[in-house]
Amino acid sequence: MSNNIIENLRKEIDNFSLQLKVEKVGQVMEVFDGIAKVSGLSDIKSSEMVTFPGGETGVALNLEEDAVGVIILGDFSKIKEGDEVKATGRILEIPVSDSILGRVVNAIGAPIDGKGAIKAGKTYPIEKVAPGVVTRQSVSEPVATGIKAIDAIIPVGRGQRELIIGDRQTGKTALAIDAILNQKGQNMICVYVSIGQKDSKLRKLGARLEAGGAMDYTVIVSAGASEAASMSYIAPYAGVSIAEYFMDQGKDVLIIYDDLSKHAVAYREISLLLRRPPGREAYPGDVFYLHSRLLERACRRNAKYGGGSITAFPIIETQAGDISAYIPTNVISITDGQIFLETDLFYKGIRPAVNVGSSVSRVGSSAQIKAMKKVAGTLKLDLAQFRELEAFSQFGSDLDESTKKQLERGKRSVEMLKQLQYAPVKTEHQVVTFYALTKGFMDDVPVEKIKEFESGLIDYTETHAKTFYKEVKESKMWTDKGEEQLKKAIADFKTSFVK
Amino acid sequence: MTVISNNDIARAIYSGAKEKHGHELSLYQKNVVNFLFRKRLLSKAPEILSQLRKIINKEEGRIIAKVSSVEKLSHKIKEDLTHSLKKRYSAKEVILEEKLDEKLIGGIKLEVNNEVIDLSVKNKIGKLQEHLERNI
Repeated sequence: MSNNIIENLRKEIDNFSLQLKVEKVGQVMEVFDGIAKVSGLSDIKSSEMVTFPGGETGVALNLEEDAVGVIILGDFSKIKEGDEVKATGRILEIPVSDSILGRVVNAIGAPIDGKGAIKAGKTYPIEKVAPGVVTRQSVSEPVATGIKAIDAIIPVGRGQRELIIGDRQTGKTALAIDAILNQKGQNMICVYVSIGQKDSKLRKLGARLEAGGAMDYTVIVSAGASEAASMSYIAPYAGVSIAEYFMDQGKDVLIIYDDLSKHAVAYREISLLLRRPPGREAYPGDVFYLHSRLLERACRRNAKYGGGSITAFPIIETQAGDISAYIPTNVISITDGQIFLETDLFYKGIRPAVNVGSSVSRVGSSAQIKAMKKVAGTLKLDLAQFRELEAFSQFGSDLDESTKKQLERGKRSVEMLKQLQYAPVKTEHQVVTFYALTKGFMDDVPVEKIKEFESGLIDYTETHAKTFYKEVKESKMWTDKGEEQLKKAIADFKTSFVK
Repeated sequence: MTVISNNDIARAIYSGAKEKHGHELSLYQKNVVNFLFRKRLLSKAPEILSQLRKIINKEEGRIIAKVSSVEKLSHKIKEDLTHSLKKRYSAKEVILEEKLDEKLIGGIKLEVNNEVIDLSVKNKIGKLQEHLERNI
């Protein structure tokens, strides 16, 4: 063994040839708050990587006439005035490989989960121009999130960018985690980028994913609250670079940015320290570009260019439900739709607290399987009519029969969309329950018993309507034969349930 | 944000002084100091002067090379260095600034403007370390 090591070492040393290179250097003029002003460094490129004597890396952001503004990634307490800074000639890049799956890494791709080094394969640049229009394909395959309200009403397709927006404590992260948990066996790689979050939260989340067996296909990129703003600034770009690595293998990737409001705040801090002129809410002028170039990298590539897709779920935290603030409006306009979570609904017990009225998916039903499209169409209509009638019905008690019926149906629909945390529902099960609901099978089941009815129905139909399940699973749509079987099974179950 | 940089001022001073000699030059220098005083730029004088130094060196084809080594360099090596540096930077004159640095272990390290040519043993060991870490 030890002989082997020595032999290896000798071979490598023999192979080693020193390539003499003229290096461009500069001197640190001042260091403050994770920023270094460096003199010299002529011919440096924008966002080029530089190295400090202690091994820290930095990124040149501000190129001025006789100084360069560098953000320091990592610990800047050891960097002194007068230190020699070397230019590397390379744009900032991170190591990527298949063995990164199941790991927790920081914003520069170094492991932070204490499980040892990650065997590096390739390196990917952090900043990359998004795939062009000829390489893309329109979104048509669904991402099954396992959340009924989303899969039925706000469907998300592979390659889409869907914003999750809401106040603090409305279940934004929970929604994202449920979506990751449901990707098991769905041929999807997940990347969770945590930006400026508490380490305790990350720990909890990691344990949750581990318990759900989701870490086998998940990478967590974390820039914690205690790290420098520069780490938070580059973390989402590092995350999407990892996602691109898997997409380049033709795989589908789901990436979650939790959350982009903190990312914008980190970038504001850096910009102000670099003395860039502040704009609205003190954000710099290019804060829109900051997010648009990030989210544009989510795409679905056509088969000619290798296939694969990146679906992005950016998260934005609003203050007191104000979605017209600067960053929320920016990100709403960049994404292909948004999922609104509301505090009022959350405390009314409607969880997930999705406001189905103001949430949209601009890709729409083309990202649904045919069976789901069929049942969800009616459900959407039912809910829309219910919202209209709900306010109106509070004024009078004598309503006509059809209005009453619609109200009752609406109440059941709302009840049906409620779902516990960490309990994603399979697409086939969703189709069955929505079928029963929209065909009126639940109209005479008491509202408070809907949940019970639902779980019972799923268990019963799974054994008594096998044809239906098989059809939906395989050809994405039922036939008359399957439908008849399901109808009978639902009716049978109902008689036994009422008893 | 300064509109006129130190570099601009230094360049202006240089182009003004280029053609002048003797009494005319000393009068000009007086005017420059007066100007800097009036525009409240005297506090920036060290930076302006160092820029001026760079400009003069560049215009006159003179380069300053900092050479660090463990031991004092022999006359022969210095001559060789001067010769090759003149060729590389197409300079007319090379000024060697010598510095002793034991940390280099051996070899020499050359610094010209922003460029470093590191021929020291210390650098070689560092490179070898990198190479071994990457491949084993």
